[in-house]
Amino acid sequence: MTQVYRVESPERLTELLLDRGKNVVAPVAQGAVHRFLKIDSVKQADFGYFQAQMSMKGLFLPATEGILKFTVGEKEPRIEEPDLSFPETVIVGSRPCDAAALPIQDKIFEWDVVDEFYKNRRDKTTVVSIACTYADNNCFCTSMGLAPDSSSGSDLLLVKTDGGFLAEAVTEKGEALAGALGLGPVGEPGDRQAASQKAAELITRRFDSEKIPGWLAANFLDPLWEEMCSKCIGCAACTFVCPTCHCFDIVDEPVGTSGERRKNWDACTLWHFTVHASGHNPRDLQHKRYRQRIMHKFNYYRERFGAFLCTGCGRCIRVCPVSLDLAQVLEEISARAG
Amino acid sequence: MSVYSPTTVNVTGVTPETPDIVTIDMSFVDDSYARQFSFQPGQFALLSAFGEGEAAFAIASSPSETGNVSCSVKSVGKVTSVLAGSNPGDVLGFRGPYGNWFPLDIMKSKNLLFVAGGIGFSAVKSTLLSVLENRTDYVKVTLLYGARTVADLVYKKELEEYENLSGLDLVKTVDPGGETGDWNGRVGFVPTILEEIDGPVSETVAIVCGPPIMIKLTLAALMTKGFDRKNIYTTLESRMKCGIGKCGRCNIGSVYVCKDGPVFTAAQIQEFPPDY
Amino acid sequence: MSEELRRIAGELLSEKKVGVVIGYASTVADPNRTTPIFIRRPEDAEKLVWNPLCVNNLTVYLTKKKPEIQALGKPAIVAKGCDTRSILGLIKEFQLKREDVVILGMSCEGVVKDFRSWNGALSNGNIAQKCLYCKVRTPATYDFLVGDELPGVEEDDPFFDVKELESRSVQERKAFWDREFEKCIRCYACRQVCPFCYCDRCIADKTMPRWIESSAHERGNFAWNIIRAMHLAGRCIACDECSRVCPADIPLNLLNREVEKEIKEKFGYVAGMDTETEPPLRTYSEDDDDSWIR
Repeated sequence: MTQVYRVESPERLTELLLDRGKNVVAPVAQGAVHRFLKIDSVKQADFGYFQAQMSMKGLFLPATEGILKFTVGEKEPRIEEPDLSFPETVIVGSRPCDAAALPIQDKIFEWDVVDEFYKNRRDKTTVVSIACTYADNNCFCTSMGLAPDSSSGSDLLLVKTDGGFLAEAVTEKGEALAGALGLGPVGEPGDRQAASQKAAELITRRFDSEKIPGWLAANFLDPLWEEMCSKCIGCAACTFVCPTCHCFDIVDEPVGTSGERRKNWDACTLWHFTVHASGHNPRDLQHKRYRQRIMHKFNYYRERFGAFLCTGCGRCIRVCPVSLDLAQVLEEISARAG
Repeated sequence: MSVYSPTTVNVTGVTPETPDIVTIDMSFVDDSYARQFSFQPGQFALLSAFGEGEAAFAIASSPSETGNVSCSVKSVGKVTSVLAGSNPGDVLGFRGPYGNWFPLDIMKSKNLLFVAGGIGFSAVKSTLLSVLENRTDYVKVTLLYGARTVADLVYKKELEEYENLSGLDLVKTVDPGGETGDWNGRVGFVPTILEEIDGPVSETVAIVCGPPIMIKLTLAALMTKGFDRKNIYTTLESRMKCGIGKCGRCNIGSVYVCKDGPVFTAAQIQEFPPDY
Repeated sequence: MSEELRRIAGELLSEKKVGVVIGYASTVADPNRTTPIFIRRPEDAEKLVWNPLCVNNLTVYLTKKKPEIQALGKPAIVAKGCDTRSILGLIKEFQLKREDVVILGMSCEGVVKDFRSWNGALSNGNIAQKCLYCKVRTPATYDFLVGDELPGVEEDDPFFDVKELESRSVQERKAFWDREFEKCIRCYACRQVCPFCYCDRCIADKTMPRWIESSAHERGNFAWNIIRAMHLAGRCIACDECSRVCPADIPLNLLNREVEKEIKEKFGYVAGMDTETEPPLRTYSEDDDDSWIR
């Protein structure tokens, strides 16, 4: 039985956290977009926002990070191992589609061997999400098995009701945080049902995603890829704003005789992703690269790890320079699957 | 230490094999690491040239050899050209062993047909060495190896030994036009020469590695001979970075070459989407 | 104007004068956006639209970056004034022959600065900044002109947009760009959307040697963005697509416009207005200003 608490507002919860000296990250308005940034005062946060342009995956898998340092030039290279300790952090104000990406990404970073850079950050971070009260026509979370008020991936989920906010303690971490902040428990959160109903009604864009993996497995060479995906210009905007995309590159960056080995975001949509040393590129045309993106997210990852590599947040659609609508491609596939 | 941190190796020897391929012999700097290290034939490792980067190579030495691991490096790009220029005494990074391996235990009591081309030989060398070390476990062992020209043949010294090895039938070949005046081997593309090699197909396992076009034509030639796809093994190359199934780059369909491979049967490859 | 455009496109296709018409269509899910469309059949010409949401510079699809589009046959392209300047630039750089493309020039009073700000009509609040100093409201070149001829915008100072930044000190400008480039995630949307970034292997992707670090840190981002602006010097026609598409909201147009201003002042050259005048960075003239050589 999930314990539910009352909290006046996300702002009030943030004040409680900052008063206790916690390291808080929240959505901050920067020009026309919002970003997840560390805040020192609750005034910097904008919890009434719709969605941050960039997902919060950068807080667990940074756009670039050093994984070891080296110094060469002497007899033996000196290697400096990375610092794998990270500060305790509370993220306040993520959306359910942001949070739900975390348990999905956990699967690959903990597959067989554990990526400590990702895992240690995950362990040190508490996620307090706010359920959505608004959606646009690019949102399709319900088709990914989620909802504007899903709790997956969150430790505490704040849901707006008539009398303020309910705070659901989804995990032990959330329970512990609610306790630490002295939040008042609620016995019978009656208005939760109504809030859930309202949330579900926000999403107008729906399609049957269950049919998609089967169609993808059988139609690698279908003309759909060239027809719908040739207009992709091959940037990585969709991949980098996506909360579940996690592919990365490892490069050495020397500066003189020392330097760092770094782990950087990479994208299967970029031409170089699979180019071999011989010059051969299995994915030589853009529609093949875009096909890989869809195959990975809606077929391969589902097959290997039991989940779509997508939370239906719609960022990829909003940010695409040529308005290539990924959900439209999925709708077409679902329709063709019959 | 993280899962991406390499251990260090001393370069103990560098043997030029061809104008652009060298074999690097290495020993682990850390004794305790050396003592616990072992690998299976067919597995690969990522070698680091610190400051340049990492690249993936099949481990070409025998798993039974203590105190040494060898990899053969072809100079094709940024990292490989620096690695190929290594000298004894240099220190490199080593991460591995990764991937799956050739399942020699199920190949016992069978005939083995090794078909290799160019540097592809290095990917099956450790397996061949294991087989020769346990020769009585297998019946007839044949090695068909070819390269573009005589100069491009790797392991020339070993090939000379194999000429006279009674337990191994060696057929060496170079592509038409690649022969020299004193060449005493065959002349013809590997898949073409393969057609002329006879043997009991049902009791034979084929182990194939070479450039993509050679693998494709060799597979076709083996099928024509009546080989079952489940008895043909190959090892695939894919662009790799992490080697441990995280970076998302090496996949062919839902298969991760670094985790589920690089060794696959022709039956498995038949199920792959044309994404390699 | 949409009707006229559809009629011309349909005729070009049914008379087999072109193999593909590259234009804009409405998006399915969002009425406030358009998307590029490649029309092959005459009956599909009715999908073409023309309105202030037609922001994309479609000429990127004429370049060798998109061989699969080039393979569709001789193109007709729906082009605003700014887009036609790209086409003239591509011709000048030998990427395209004038006779190999049919230009459907659209007379244009402006496009939206971003899809979010569209509210049914174009206004000073939502018009793209580049439209406020546009000299090619009638396209610079065309085979067909759809719409009436329109005069360019009269502006005392055609580079008013970079004035404020220019007035700051070097340190202040460096601080400004450091803050902006910190947001860069190296998605290369700016490069991929640009018709002039068509190198087979971009300098940022070269590894032997590694000219530009690929990491999204200060050093790498500064190098990338500045080098791209420099490589576009004398070529960029300030279609501002790079700024529009940047997911990190970096005002890349300010950088390219400053370079455009320098090129105008130092060499008296404006890119993309014709195919005859020699671009300054591939020409040497004895009267070139060399006062900066000390």
